[in-house]
Amino acid sequence: MDDIETQGMDRRRFLTVLGVTGAGTAALSGCSTGRVEKLIPYLVQSEDQVPGIATIYASTCTECAAGCGVHVRTREGRAVKLEGNPAHPVNQGRLCARGQAGLQALYNPGRVRSPRARQADGTFKDITWDEAIATLASKAAEAGGKLAVISGAGAGTFSTLLADWTGALGGRVVRYEPFDHEPVRAANRQVFGLDSLPTYDFARARYILSFGADFLETWLTPIEQQRGFAESHGYRGGEMAKHVYLAPRMSLTGMNADEWHAIAPGTEAPLALAMAQVIMAERSGAPEDANALRGVLSGYDPEKVANEIGLTAEQIRRLAREFASAQPGLAVAGGIGSQHRGAAEVCAAVNILNYVAGNVGVTVRFGAGLPTADGYAAMAALIRQMAAGEIAAVLVHDANPAYALPRSAGFAEAFAKVPFKVSTATMLDETAALADLLVPQSHALERWDDLHPREGVRGLMQPVMEPVYGTWAAGDILLKTAQQAGGALARFAAPSWESHLKAAWQEIGRAAGAKDLQMWWVETLAAGGLYAEAPAPMPVRLAATASQVAGAKPEFDGDGAFVFSAYPTSMLFDGRGTNKPWLLENPDPVTKITWQSWIEVHPDTAADLDVREGEILRVVSPHGAIEAPVYVYPGVRRDLLAAPMGYGHTQYGDYATGRGANALDLLGAPGEAAFVPYLSTRVSVEKTRRYQKVAKTEGRNRQLGRGIAEAMGLPAARKGLTPEAAHHEEAGGAAHEINTERELKAIAGFAEEQHEAATKGNYLGEHPQWGMAIDLSRCTGCSACVTACYAENNIPWVGEADVLRGREMSWMRIERYYEGGQDGEPLEVRFVPMLCQHCGNAPCEPVCPVYAAYHTPDGLNGQVYNRCVGTRYCSNNCPYKVRYFNWYAYSKRAFPEPLNLQLNPDVTVRARGVMEKCTFCVQRIRGAQNLAKLEDRPLRDGDVVTACAQACPSGAIVFGDRMDPESRVTRAAADHRGYHVLEDINVRPAITYLAKVRHPVEA
Amino acid sequence: MRKLVFVLGGALILVLAAVALSRDAQASRQAAPAANDSLLAPVLSASDTGRLKGPTQPIFFRHDIHAGQFKINCQYCHYSVSVSSEPGIPSMATCMNCHLVIGGTDSTAQREIKKVRDASNNKQPVEWVRVHYLARHAHFPHMRHVKVMGPNACGTCHGDVARMPQVFQVNNVRNMGFCINCHLERGVSRDCSVCHY
Amino acid sequence: MAAIAPPYVPKQTHAEVTRDVVATLGTPSRGYVMMLAAAVGLFLVGVVTFTLLLKEGLGLAGYSPPVMWSVYITTFVFWIGIGHAGTLISAILFLFRSPWRTAVYRATEAMTVFAVMTAGLFPIIHIGRQWIFYWLLPYPNQRYLWPNFKSPLLWDVFAISTYLTVSTTFLVVGLVPDIAAVRDKVSGWRKKLYGACSLGWTGSDNQWRHYTRGYLYLAALATPLVLSVHSVVSWDFAMSIVPGWHGTIFAPYFVAGAIYSGIGMVLTLLIPLRKVLGLEHMIRDYHFDNLSKLTLFTGSILFYAYAMEYFVAWYSGNPFEQTTFYLRAFGPMWWAGWSMIICNAFVSQLLWFRKIRTNLTALFVISVFINIGMWFERYVIIVSSLSNDYLPWAWGQMNPTWADWGILAGSFGWFGMYFLLFARTFPIVAIQEIKETIPMPRKRGGH
Repeated sequence: MDDIETQGMDRRRFLTVLGVTGAGTAALSGCSTGRVEKLIPYLVQSEDQVPGIATIYASTCTECAAGCGVHVRTREGRAVKLEGNPAHPVNQGRLCARGQAGLQALYNPGRVRSPRARQADGTFKDITWDEAIATLASKAAEAGGKLAVISGAGAGTFSTLLADWTGALGGRVVRYEPFDHEPVRAANRQVFGLDSLPTYDFARARYILSFGADFLETWLTPIEQQRGFAESHGYRGGEMAKHVYLAPRMSLTGMNADEWHAIAPGTEAPLALAMAQVIMAERSGAPEDANALRGVLSGYDPEKVANEIGLTAEQIRRLAREFASAQPGLAVAGGIGSQHRGAAEVCAAVNILNYVAGNVGVTVRFGAGLPTADGYAAMAALIRQMAAGEIAAVLVHDANPAYALPRSAGFAEAFAKVPFKVSTATMLDETAALADLLVPQSHALERWDDLHPREGVRGLMQPVMEPVYGTWAAGDILLKTAQQAGGALARFAAPSWESHLKAAWQEIGRAAGAKDLQMWWVETLAAGGLYAEAPAPMPVRLAATASQVAGAKPEFDGDGAFVFSAYPTSMLFDGRGTNKPWLLENPDPVTKITWQSWIEVHPDTAADLDVREGEILRVVSPHGAIEAPVYVYPGVRRDLLAAPMGYGHTQYGDYATGRGANALDLLGAPGEAAFVPYLSTRVSVEKTRRYQKVAKTEGRNRQLGRGIAEAMGLPAARKGLTPEAAHHEEAGGAAHEINTERELKAIAGFAEEQHEAATKGNYLGEHPQWGMAIDLSRCTGCSACVTACYAENNIPWVGEADVLRGREMSWMRIERYYEGGQDGEPLEVRFVPMLCQHCGNAPCEPVCPVYAAYHTPDGLNGQVYNRCVGTRYCSNNCPYKVRYFNWYAYSKRAFPEPLNLQLNPDVTVRARGVMEKCTFCVQRIRGAQNLAKLEDRPLRDGDVVTACAQACPSGAIVFGDRMDPESRVTRAAADHRGYHVLEDINVRPAITYLAKVRHPVEA
Repeated sequence: MRKLVFVLGGALILVLAAVALSRDAQASRQAAPAANDSLLAPVLSASDTGRLKGPTQPIFFRHDIHAGQFKINCQYCHYSVSVSSEPGIPSMATCMNCHLVIGGTDSTAQREIKKVRDASNNKQPVEWVRVHYLARHAHFPHMRHVKVMGPNACGTCHGDVARMPQVFQVNNVRNMGFCINCHLERGVSRDCSVCHY
Repeated sequence: MAAIAPPYVPKQTHAEVTRDVVATLGTPSRGYVMMLAAAVGLFLVGVVTFTLLLKEGLGLAGYSPPVMWSVYITTFVFWIGIGHAGTLISAILFLFRSPWRTAVYRATEAMTVFAVMTAGLFPIIHIGRQWIFYWLLPYPNQRYLWPNFKSPLLWDVFAISTYLTVSTTFLVVGLVPDIAAVRDKVSGWRKKLYGACSLGWTGSDNQWRHYTRGYLYLAALATPLVLSVHSVVSWDFAMSIVPGWHGTIFAPYFVAGAIYSGIGMVLTLLIPLRKVLGLEHMIRDYHFDNLSKLTLFTGSILFYAYAMEYFVAWYSGNPFEQTTFYLRAFGPMWWAGWSMIICNAFVSQLLWFRKIRTNLTALFVISVFINIGMWFERYVIIVSSLSNDYLPWAWGQMNPTWADWGILAGSFGWFGMYFLLFARTFPIVAIQEIKETIPMPRKRGGH
């Protein structure tokens, strides 16, 4: 019998071995005396759980539509960390902040804990699953054809089941995703006659033009794209791609560009067409069918369009020439932040630009078919139907349109008209709050499921632990309902969703030609899914409609002085991140603001309006008004105001509810538009004369020439210059100061003393010297490492009030420094990940009166929490300010039930009154050493990977033993770009930064 | 007059020293193992648990019978001690491996074994009272110690459990001095960050 | 021949001196009671605040990283400084045989002891886990753990405990003959009490010989402490690498500042006390004139030190130092920076004028300015230096909260309470030293 063995979840049934794991916040350093501890044994010892040893399960991330593969690290039956699955083609072992924070969706205190039914008085009351299924079955049956289902974009076995299930009743499914990239697809239909999303090969591109597409944050599949971007734009062997960002606001993607041009809002299309025109006019080699376009393009001579765009014709020509000559290039458009009414035209124009430059089929590859939903048009239709009372029942699954759509779209009102509304939401979100019945589905880590994000990639999900609450997999809900209702639904007879899914995978297995299905299943499950080669790009020709492209300027509602842009942030995305403290505390990579919403104002505009940071501004559009504090940001046009999406929730758990202002309130009804235009209103501002201190982690954003974030021009890098030499060369050969005799002596003296010290007691003998190298030419400032650090090291979030006092505990922070940006110079942004430098000559160590801060034999700057009395002298004396103090019992506040289940048992949870800081993940080092000892082998390079290095989507961080000349870190640190931050004060950091490399700036 | 200063300072230090040392004295006072030399476990009834050393457990489990008289290897129950930092607590299933058939000879044994069977049948795990545990900021990798000192090294810290009708704490393992002394004698690392992180 | 008595000699007979001083121990005046009540009130404020700190955590205070030390350490240094003037006057001036100290030294010595007692509390209050402060002391333990003798904080522990021990002994020894004198004047239980405290003093020639010898030794022992203790305290800062702290000038700079602030406090205490206890004819303008001169002298040293700090910062060419000092004057904390310079460097210069030196009201006002100025000096040095050191991204300002002020107020209450109680219980003016200065009355026939 080659059937896939169906085991219930009691195979993994567990009881947390409390006493043994040290789980929970009871594990405070120095306070565990006099407690009677219990040892609670397993009933049945599961073969894949050994207490004290992490078990890894492969699964798939559901935080956005990209479908990255994750490894779930579990201890004693609790998921404790999410990491990238190295085998997965999309993210290849990396994971962004949002993905890692999925854990806080699993353990969120605000989850719906059982089925709930709306009562007469409007409140919810807990009911049993039997009651819930009964109600659902009857209602669904009687609704029949008047049943509508709103579901997320995710495609897979479940979406198929859902479609069949709904179809059987005669109803219809609307698959809705807030950021559905409809403009891109519309453009592909028009220009290439293809209704799909291509994949973009950033790794191959030598010249990247982004027309407001934030491919490092929220556009399509960010991690994959960031990885590719780091490959091409990271400096290696004298080469790096050039990245030009063209948008009215500088997003994180823009901050990583070599050139940013703040073009007028809505002028991307004429710009792209003008560039295409230049290329067509000046170069041969464009596909001959492009000649059909000459007519259209002739209307877009740079001289004609330059003014409205806000560039000079010369600049347009230069960009066009550079773009065409760097083969292959890549132009992308369709970012959410710049999605105005003309977005489809923009994407069409950019398609043409790519086509004439010969990039289609090279860096723009059709055929993989990235995930898409039905687009806003379908949603609009459903809203009209609901409003007209043509819908009897609605089932909402994995979607929150009541929040994600502008209020003016009228979803809530229409939804309210539906007699019976069901939601499977795990959290009580805005849509669920309007429902009559809540049937909470299990989190992706608690259920069987799969995801089919694109051709050749099928991700699997498996229950890695018992459901935290009494929730069901949505599949089980459907099947049980079907069996209860019978009738048209009778054919859905699978005993459980698990068996249904496994049956489906048997077909896949057979199709894949698996000999032993059972064996194949186990392997696939372990690999986290089924990955085939990416399909070869399908040949693409211009469609007849291509020549109808137009660069018409989109119109904006209202006549305010400013154009308003609502954009998604890399932390909160479309607002689904706002219920996770990790994402709220992790500063927005661009503004460095936490826990609050804000309004970005250009410095000059701020001066004109006479407002300063923190003044609460009232922004009024024809459709509504919001109030939020001002953040003065040099990265926006003078005529643009920008505000982040994701705030202003009215439901969605305690962390999100009532936090900040909802930028969507300023948007008008999309009406007949095929998508929601987020950049479509003009606004005016009113001063409220009220102030709110902005909870940002930014101190001073200029380096004051202290050489913290070094950078050098490409020519200097090619010459193999050190950052200092490059600096002097670029500064015009300023005299290079040489240390005096005496200084050199002193430094040598230090070295001797330290060598001397290393011959005593524990320090005697051979020890690894742990070190790190961080390549700033790859770091994009995305802050995935920060969340990784929080997750690995049980770092408590401190909340808005304490961030305002600068008390955030982020062992790893991303410092963002501005260069230029004043009197006409282009604004340059540099990121520096700042963590404990584990100095060889650490200032913090000698000043600690109790040796809580001391140097370990293996070159770590040790911090013994339970010895620390909290004089805080070490922090005063730390030049990098990377030591963090527990002013309150933060860990008690930060991990309420059940969030405490996520605590990493290998790391002490710090008590009030002690100092803490980056440990280079010493628990991972010790773990690796223990393992090596058991296996009687020495540690190998790569045995120890810190949480930050593991997460980094750009692969900018390398960790290892500096004593081993062959180790990756030693080789990386030897690079001519290597330097230490604040090298002059001779603290001998163990972290080497590799200077950023930039393309020479041109006018 | 300078004397005066020294005298006062000295006195202060002495007082504190006295305090510290007295605390440690009690801490590391060693309790003698149960006083019968033969491995034949004494006959005891559950009513004796009160006067036996160590905490009274929900089930009067006799290490001296299992590990002593029947010479069951420690690692049969504490299955992960040689691979993990955690020694592992036997699952109820492990107990039932034997106690499906073994029902006990005397009335006490039968009563206690019945508790095990009931617990297993009702899926109600027994809540043992913990005897040895460390502060949560101290990480003790069992496997490293078993690896170095061999599988029968348990006694080094846990005492002669094979002769304990009821397990009690022989060495105060919560006392860092106990660890340090051993590490000193064996000349192994005393670096703080080996255990504290 | 009728010699003109020098100005420090009270115009009284031996008997009158004793009488007047003992009178200060009589039923307290209304003013005294009010001052005591105020002190106790403040002390209670401090107690409540500290209790809350223990319960909730140091977060209640205004600490905002990078400023990890602020009001508590400021106040600690402030009180330590206060102590120094006492020892200077009682010990050093004793060794220099400058007779004008006699009337004031007892008060100042008492002030020293209580100031150090107050300061001693702060290292405990300010640490994160106050309940294990004793880990800072070296004591043998089974974990083979010792404190880090490289850490300036540990030097502090020793400096302060030594200082407290010596100055307390010095005060007590000096008191013995006076207590005896009081004992002979009072009756009832008080006679018993003072009898016990006077350690069986009979005033025999033999006792006097030993007494004076012993007192001399103690003075000699206390003298170096004036310089050493505050130097050690200054090294808490100077030994670090924080721009604005890391200076070789710190030890002398702090010692001068300490004495300066100490005398300021002496003035602040004596001027009202003299009224309340009716000691006008013993503590006289002459004494205040001398104290003022001392103030002027140390104040000028401070002036020089401030100037030097800025000069060195500029001359060193060290960008970090330069930024720190630029911001100290023109940064967000300019107000604190300037109030320190004005109160200390400039106000004290008024004392060049004899008129001001002898005008008690003016003197009192100035002394208050000095106290404020010196507190701000420490606040500026600590907070402003920490606010902006090496890494601009980490820069940040801190604003004190009620928890900071509560502890500060409490410290004043704690100090004032002890000082007032002492002034009422023991002779606040050294009877026997005053008497020494009074020429022997000529009896008929003489001898």
